[in-house]
Amino acid sequence: MFGVYNLKDLSIKKGELDLKVEAENGFYSYIRKMGDSEVRKIILKDAEVCLNPVEPVNLPKNITNYLYIGFKNPVLIAPVSSAEVYTTFPIEIGVIIRRENVYEDIDVFSFVNPKFALYGEPRGGVIGRYWEGEVFGKIPQVDPLREGILKLTILNLSHNWCEVSKAVFDVYGMEIYYNEKVVSSIAEMRIHSKRVADTSFVDEPLLNNMKKSIGLYSAKLLPMLSTKFTMEWGV
Amino acid sequence: MISEILDWSIRIMDYRLYENVTVRDLIFAFVIILIAYIIAKFIAISLRRSLADKMKKDQLELLVKLVYTVILLIAIVTVTPILGVSLTGLLVAGGIAGIVIGFASQRVVSNLLSGLFLIAERPIKIGDQVVVGNIAGFVEDMNIMSTIVRTYDGLYVRIPNETLFTSSITNPVANVARRFEYQISIRYSDDANKAIEIIKRMIEEHPFALKIPPPRVFVDSLTESGVNIIARIWAPSTAWLDAKMEILWKIKVELEKNGIKIAFPQRLIWFGEEYENKKL
Repeated sequence: MFGVYNLKDLSIKKGELDLKVEAENGFYSYIRKMGDSEVRKIILKDAEVCLNPVEPVNLPKNITNYLYIGFKNPVLIAPVSSAEVYTTFPIEIGVIIRRENVYEDIDVFSFVNPKFALYGEPRGGVIGRYWEGEVFGKIPQVDPLREGILKLTILNLSHNWCEVSKAVFDVYGMEIYYNEKVVSSIAEMRIHSKRVADTSFVDEPLLNNMKKSIGLYSAKLLPMLSTKFTMEWGV
Repeated sequence: MISEILDWSIRIMDYRLYENVTVRDLIFAFVIILIAYIIAKFIAISLRRSLADKMKKDQLELLVKLVYTVILLIAIVTVTPILGVSLTGLLVAGGIAGIVIGFASQRVVSNLLSGLFLIAERPIKIGDQVVVGNIAGFVEDMNIMSTIVRTYDGLYVRIPNETLFTSSITNPVANVARRFEYQISIRYSDDANKAIEIIKRMIEEHPFALKIPPPRVFVDSLTESGVNIIARIWAPSTAWLDAKMEILWKIKVELEKNGIKIAFPQRLIWFGEEYENKKL
């Protein structure tokens, strides 16, 4: 389903998703139906359409740029050590039109229901798109239309054992790679103490034959701004 | 004839207005200020265009105002020597004038200082919702003397900063999350546990009902008319109203679908004779 399509050839039916483009009097009608939601847009010029996973913070409307992954089972990490684990993140699929290397996102949909959570206190904390992810020791088998694989390197820089039950990320630094079977992203968590950690994304594919997604956020970022997030309210 | 006009123009240009300042200097100073004003306007527009989707509106407005003011200040500092004004003298004179004006127009100075304190304390920012006294709406702009609020019914309200500073300000979106509550009364004949389970499910299904902190649903009181169930739900401040409006109706529909009815206020009255007959 992910990939690049000619606008007029776009027609996808998958589960409750019905996505198509109809040519009408020299322009094109983009129609996407899914459950109760329906999006219709008119595109006046022929273009290419990219369907790829995007940063999962757009639905039902964009209220945050943070992704909050709560682990089903907490992870204990030894003092001054590192470990690589795999978890999952929710998939939102962006429909992006392209003409002469100019991109515009026209729609975002998802096969999973969005949910949000508060990290920290109402004053000073952040709202994050919530996802409950299991922790795996190797790459898990998941449905790429619903879940992506997040390779998380946890570095415990403190001299204490640390229990990690959540990870919060700023999606402005999120780079997503995909192929037909796997959607992935790579991130790092540097634990400074039992309560404080830094999280950031790494711009690398998980496997060799993966394409980089066109993100909706990375392009909007000012180059001098950091995309690292400091978790000050516990890990 | 032309040479006379030129000669006359030169004499006008060289005409001394005061001390060593000529008309030429005055025009030159005016042109510098005008150019600075045009540059400041151009940069402000460019900043707004290029950073509109990269910065928050209030931060962008602050940056634009700062850049605009700095450019104009540089121009003013540049032209003061041309106009024969010593900056030190100007500051001293400004200080004295400030005291005089301060006494003469206390309210204006009070508004100005309140504006500065508001900018420093930042209890509200552009785009926030705010309740000040009996005015509620969105903060449209924050100036040095006043704050502009657009009420929910679209009215333009200018609040002097002194009023704003001395009033209690409620900012419903200053915190990222807020809680709201429903009281749902069901009949005594209905199963309260089932009702709680349905209410929890409806809350769980709504994206903006936060997972953390978790919602709380419990039997609060047993009243004359029915069993009161309280549902306390946290939602993002920017979406709490949507959540509040949508979840309640879904709960009502789902409860009724499962045979649970909302209790009406009722009182059963037994007349003495009727009661006696019933006993027989």
